[in-house]
Amino acid sequence: MRASPIAEKYGPFLDLAHQHQVIFYYVGYFSQNIVAAMAEAVKLQLEVAGVAGPTRRKLFSAFIEMAQNIIHYSADALTPPNQGNGELRHGSVCIRQESDGQFLLLCANPIAPETAHGLRAKLDALRSMTLEEIKLAYRQTLREEAPEGSKGAGMGFLTVARDAREPLEFDFVPAENAGGSPVFYLKAAL
Amino acid sequence: MDNLYIAPTPSSPEVDFRFDAHRLSLRGESYPENAAAFYANVIAQLKTYLAQPQEQPIDVQIALAYFNSSSTKMLFNLIEALNEAAQAGRQVDLHWYHDEEDDTLFEFGQELRDDFPALRFLSHPVGPT
Repeated sequence: MRASPIAEKYGPFLDLAHQHQVIFYYVGYFSQNIVAAMAEAVKLQLEVAGVAGPTRRKLFSAFIEMAQNIIHYSADALTPPNQGNGELRHGSVCIRQESDGQFLLLCANPIAPETAHGLRAKLDALRSMTLEEIKLAYRQTLREEAPEGSKGAGMGFLTVARDAREPLEFDFVPAENAGGSPVFYLKAAL
Repeated sequence: MDNLYIAPTPSSPEVDFRFDAHRLSLRGESYPENAAAFYANVIAQLKTYLAQPQEQPIDVQIALAYFNSSSTKMLFNLIEALNEAAQAGRQVDLHWYHDEEDDTLFEFGQELRDDFPALRFLSHPVGPT
């Protein structure tokens, strides 16, 4: 029996996702409503899959932090830059489950080239911290004024790092053409 | 002054500040798009209320199932304002509700208790519903 043309065309894509044990993937525009809906979907998915409470909570938390970072910082914005609320920006987020049952949370979005340097420095510093140092930095930052240019509290990465099993991994892929935006990748193991 | 009520949404909490009854409640989820903007008015009104010369004890109920990083900071500021009132002599009871399986919520409650000793901190672990 010949394979249906649909299965031929799209089967490999779905198979690839299955092989990579992707349990959630979204690429597109992120808004507060979209993130809230996705968070609900992820929460339900994890509950139904029987994932333990503490892990579900950490995944939910990291997911929100990463998704809201996309809303606030992605260089691909539909809304004007001075609009502080109701923002719509482009990125992607992916949750994979490893064979040992542990989870990987990945996100990617273009960023303004001038912010890449500062971001790299911040994440490099984070990578060199022990869990105790991360918790201490978290407590300290909680008590300080929010940093310049931060739309949240400047605590998003610390929050994810505190819950992760390993130091956060990140990468910057240079823009394809001159004047374009590099793409920022972040990976958290939970 | 008028009481403050903000209806909950899927990503922002119910704010039910009954200033006339000295009962303040925060309940639900907190991950609004812009936490600073959401809580700015809440904290401002709280401070106006706390500045009034009153002696009745304040009963504060916080039952948040989740709060994102920016909400955490705003919450901290809010409770700091309550602590200042307590330091000035007002009795403030803070009822902190947390899922008994959620370490993060429990630990944050402990931090509040340790950082703001003027408040009377009451921890309420909540079992599965």
